[in-house]
Amino acid sequence: MAAVDIPLIGGHEADSHGDPHANYLKAKRGIGSWMLTVDHKRIGLMYLTMVSLAFLVGGIFALLMRIELFTRGKTIVDAETYNRFFTLHGAVMVFLFIIPSVPAALGNFFLPIMIGAKDVAFPKLNLLSFYIYLVGVAIILTSIILGSVDTGWTFYTPYSVQTANSVISMTAGVFVLGFSSILTGLNFLVTVHTMRAPGITWTRLPLFVWGMYATALIQVLATPVLAITLLLLITERFLGIGIFDPKLGGDPVLFQHFFWFYSHPAVYIMIVPGMAINSELIATFSRRAIFGAFAVAMSSIGLAILGFLVWGHHLFVAGMSEFATMLFSALTFLVAIPSGVKIFNWTATIYKGSIVWASPMLYAMAFIFLFTIGGLTGLFLGTLSVDVHLTDTYFVVAHFHYVMMGGTVIAFLGGLLYWWPKMTGKMHDEKKAKIGFVLVFIGFNTVFIPQFIMGSRGMPRRYYDYLPQFEPFHKASTIGSWILAAGLFLTAYTLLEALWKGKTAPRNPWGSAGYEWATDTPPCVANFHTTPTIKRGPYDYHLATPEELATGWDEVESAHGTKPGASSSAKKA
Amino acid sequence: MNEPATFQLPEQMSTVASEVDWLYYFIYWLSVVLFVAIVGAMVYWAIKYRERPGHKAEPTGHNVPLELAWTVAPLFILAFLFHKGFEGYMDMSVAPANAMEIHVNAKQWGWEFVYPNGGSDNELHVPVHQPVKLIMSSTDVIHSLFVPALRIKRDIVPGVYTSQWFEATHIGSDDIACAEYCGGRSKDANGDELPFAQMTGHWSMHSMLHVVSEEDFKKYLIGIGDKCAAYTLKNQACPDSIVVGEGQKLYSKKACVGCHTVTGAKLVGPSWKGIWGKEESTDHGPVKVDEAYIRESILDPQAKVVSGFPPAMPPFRGQITDQEIDEIVAYIKSLKD
Amino acid sequence: MANVSESIETRGGEHGHGHDDHAHAHPDFLQHHFDTPAQQFDAAKLGMWVFIATEILMFGGLFCAYAIWRGLEPDIFDQAHHFLNKILGATNTVVLLFSSLTAALAVRAAQSGKRNLTSVYLVVTIVCACVFLAIKYFEYSHKFHLGLLPGHCFGHPGLSGAIQNGQEIGTCLRVHADATPVMPEWVKAVDESGHMQVLPPRANMFFGLYFVMTGLHGLHVIIGMSILVWVLVKNLRGQFSPQFFTPVDLGALYWHLVDLVWIYLFPLLYLVGKPE
Ligand code: HEA
Ligand code: HEA
Ligand code: HEC
Ligand code: CUA
Ligand SMILES: [Cu+2]
Repeated sequence: MAAVDIPLIGGHEADSHGDPHANYLKAKRGIGSWMLTVDHKRIGLMYLTMVSLAFLVGGIFALLMRIELFTRGKTIVDAETYNRFFTLHGAVMVFLFIIPSVPAALGNFFLPIMIGAKDVAFPKLNLLSFYIYLVGVAIILTSIILGSVDTGWTFYTPYSVQTANSVISMTAGVFVLGFSSILTGLNFLVTVHTMRAPGITWTRLPLFVWGMYATALIQVLATPVLAITLLLLITERFLGIGIFDPKLGGDPVLFQHFFWFYSHPAVYIMIVPGMAINSELIATFSRRAIFGAFAVAMSSIGLAILGFLVWGHHLFVAGMSEFATMLFSALTFLVAIPSGVKIFNWTATIYKGSIVWASPMLYAMAFIFLFTIGGLTGLFLGTLSVDVHLTDTYFVVAHFHYVMMGGTVIAFLGGLLYWWPKMTGKMHDEKKAKIGFVLVFIGFNTVFIPQFIMGSRGMPRRYYDYLPQFEPFHKASTIGSWILAAGLFLTAYTLLEALWKGKTAPRNPWGSAGYEWATDTPPCVANFHTTPTIKRGPYDYHLATPEELATGWDEVESAHGTKPGASSSAKKA
Repeated sequence: MNEPATFQLPEQMSTVASEVDWLYYFIYWLSVVLFVAIVGAMVYWAIKYRERPGHKAEPTGHNVPLELAWTVAPLFILAFLFHKGFEGYMDMSVAPANAMEIHVNAKQWGWEFVYPNGGSDNELHVPVHQPVKLIMSSTDVIHSLFVPALRIKRDIVPGVYTSQWFEATHIGSDDIACAEYCGGRSKDANGDELPFAQMTGHWSMHSMLHVVSEEDFKKYLIGIGDKCAAYTLKNQACPDSIVVGEGQKLYSKKACVGCHTVTGAKLVGPSWKGIWGKEESTDHGPVKVDEAYIRESILDPQAKVVSGFPPAMPPFRGQITDQEIDEIVAYIKSLKD
Repeated sequence: MANVSESIETRGGEHGHGHDDHAHAHPDFLQHHFDTPAQQFDAAKLGMWVFIATEILMFGGLFCAYAIWRGLEPDIFDQAHHFLNKILGATNTVVLLFSSLTAALAVRAAQSGKRNLTSVYLVVTIVCACVFLAIKYFEYSHKFHLGLLPGHCFGHPGLSGAIQNGQEIGTCLRVHADATPVMPEWVKAVDESGHMQVLPPRANMFFGLYFVMTGLHGLHVIIGMSILVWVLVKNLRGQFSPQFFTPVDLGALYWHLVDLVWIYLFPLLYLVGKPE
């Protein structure tokens, strides 16, 4: 292949992944077979490793922050270091972890399988996006070494232009990451449009795929604007063009508009995939089609569109015209509708279902619990006069942790536990998983409930030190963070343990009617042994037969004891 | 410190506070109801319809009216919230004509409040039951003046004047905080970590609001008025003792204290102890610290930057009168040896 | 298993097939993960359109910045734009339009299997791209020479530093924030229409935009060129046929985008007058 590999069209490479009927993990061996793979499943796993590490790093920064805030005055680090901690925490969690987390890891792995495709439309582009991600990570690491950044993850000017920190390399890193995100989105859009197997009509598209589709739309439409914003910021800092720098006649608030024009839609890049996972979990463990599935699918698109119209709600006190303020507040409220639709429909699905209290379902219910809190507190912030009091306080901090951590991350963990058998072929230990869940749930609320209260009482965010009246809340919050951490580490351990201790997973351990369970566990390289033609919807439990729910409907042989992967030979016989 | 009015919100000290709090609690209870309904139903059903032998899930049906209901009903609630919120916001935005104007200079990392009589202070004193309009400007980065008890907050953006107003409802005090991240310093010029007490930054832009009676406020204004002003009017020389005293006041009022000590210890900037008359080595060669140089250092610090220090000092041109400079000079003079 | 086979019915016979008959199903330009050439083509085409959408949004951001600034400083824009050479700008516009035409013709040729003709058109297109860049180079270097540069560098010919008591210090580039910033200076120079003009430091904004916008566009010209070169190579290798010429098609599509962006940049930068 030519060096400039714009993967409009690759060469003829049918066997680059080895035998299409073999277990994708075993088909080829050796580092090279991973580094150069174009198999969406392997790329998904590589992403998963990276984002999990990012989550770990971001989490460690968080724990350090919490320890610093445990007592008044200096606890472990000085002020400048603290400022770097919350900046890096925010930047790592948002740009390195949560934005790629679900789409690039789980989406990459399951989206093609769920539409009966052999791979994403542009496998090489997919790999490219992974390497671009790595480059972004590398740049950000160097910037951290070069003295790191203390601007807050929002890089507000003029501070970000004046501070003596390595803002350029950090923003450059985020800039690069943006492209990785764009490429993933582009790939998904095209894949969903052109790669669906016969019979997977739009109405039969799994809700997870709908979610990924909506997310991809936002990624593709919003990220370029971030790219240009950061580009301008870099030139600003390097040459002092003065777009954003009042000293040179520029307008700092303009930067905020640019930034949030991306970053608000970005919050839906974060939550929509979480909701997408949740729809799958609720359906599977209620043994029942999602109530009003069509509305749920459409609400994802709704969020994607509305998400573009509300960025101004981050600037209510930054100096916008009364008219703009009014408009943005009004639009902000509209966003509550599609989110509400999802919440209500999920709850209605549980009604008269047959609920299996498996660990993924626990996370699914926790999602409804926590996201509703996070979302409803968003309404406080959307309400103009109330936001004036709450903005830039810990109330906001608590709000977005409830939606991001309590929403997306919880769904992500649920999804991991749910799909782990399919991805690895191994069952995890449910008992540990459930203990982990309880710790996470209790810990999380202990961290952030106090933050709501101190916020509404007037504790500003990004503070290295605080007034005595806030001490008890900070203490509670910090202790909570330890419980939370314990839970997360246990969960991580549970998943890893499954790899060597876990017993071989059956083809469809949760008895789901979803398409992805219909193929081998773990899937064969080509995902299905033959391009499937689908005759029923992904949630049609009433049409699915017990055999299907036990074995999936691709091939029956493999269900009777034959090892996954061997199935193909069994077939040829 | 004030006892909060309620568990969730601080004491109410402004005319708008009660309105804001009402709306806050309205949304709060609305949320509680929705939350309990949703999560309650979820948990109850999840238990009631748990998987067990003989129990089978009912195929999902359709219920268009229901779906429409919970898509449309919220619209009304939301419209109401929006309306109330906007109403309150407008009340906060438009200041009454008779409002007393107080200028606020925000800088890294301190406040200066300049009163109608030209006197200035780093704490905010206002008379009760009198609308006050804060006209705010910043010389360096964005700050945000936040007074929890007044339920007001507004960003202060360099290059433009922003403003907000309030009317205090009763006598008392409350905290003033900076609510827009504006950096921080915890290392001295040589990169050595400072003791906590000397670290400054976003979090340390704390000040106090004092709501006082009409009379007390009058007294206060006289108090902060420049003592030398009286003499200059009668064009008499102002006694040194007073001038130095004024200089010392300015040292903290103008937030020089944030970066300069008078003890000889280095902070962000050089200490003022004993610099008078001494040869400073700057990026433009050595200079003698005299009237002219100090004036320049204050109005245009970047002109000559003392070696071994960052050009971190904000220019004070336009924010400091000649008289004030003289007073600071006198004060610095008094610090030699 | 009745109901099982109801739910799934395999394409191409009861039994799954090994790769051998994979090959039959697949002409060799068809990537293994596509089922039909049509599917592969649709994917590629849609992909390129989406990509172009992102590109347009990216420039969109810049156009917003442009609009806002122009609103702030109509006079400066009017004054400064006289320093852009309309002749050269127009020439470049023509060059790009022409190259767009040849790109389109290349597609036609490929479609009708005229391999050599395709190569010829591609070469012409690439040459045009080079001409464009050459002209841009001359424009840029003239600006450097006059010191019509963005930000601090405005009024500092060739990125020179500030002159302080006689000797020059550093360059105008602010490498790290705490370096004493060099300030933009006044510029007195003869503009392209022969008038002596004096530009205030603020005019750096216009040239900031000029360099960022045309710079980013120039980058796209280079990318577009590389794509076309790659397509040319494949064409010379004879990898295209009337059944399969997607790369030619999409390469041209991308090139049209590059052209389109310039069509907007030219009037906005070279022809802006003061709004009456
Ligand atoms: C996953 C990310 C995510 C999500 C999903 C959301 C969702 C929402 N957010 Fe949040 N938000 C952030 C991430 C997110 N946010 C972040 C990161 C910040 C801070 C950035 C920073 O400054 O660092 C922020 C800040 C932020 C602000 C600015 C605060 C400030 O700085 O002053 C505002 C203001 O309007 C806001 C509002 C909302 C609203 C209205 C929603 C809505 O989408 C919520 C909708 C959901 C519900 C309402 C609950 C379920 C609905 C029902 C139960 C239906 C019935 C309810 C009613 C009809 C009332 N958010
Ligand atoms: C996805 C986004 C995300 C997530 C998950 C978190 C998670 C956490 N965040 Fe934070 N946070 C932000 C995004 C996020 N945060 C942002 C954007 C800001 C604003 C920054 C700014 O102001 O600029 C912020 C700011 C912020 C603050 C305010 C700082 C300040 O204003 O001064 C605080 C304070 O308590 C805080 C705490 C925490 C804590 C305790 C967690 C905990 O939940 C962390 C728990 C995680 C761990 C302990 C790691 C364990 C992980 C593993 C073991 C890996 C295993 C992997 C798998 C299981 C897959 N965060
Ligand atoms: C944000 C920090 C900061 C603040 C606030 C500040 N300065 Fe400075 N100042 C500096 C720094 C850094 C230097 C050394 C570099 C320089 O000369 O510019 C300095 C230098 C000086 C000097 C020269 C000292 C010498 O040794 O030559 C004088 C005089 C001075 N400042 C006066 C003031 C006065 C008066 C104020 C308040 C009205 C003030 N500064 C506020 C940071 C500050
Ligand atoms: Cu000033 Cu924060
Ligand atoms: Cu938002």
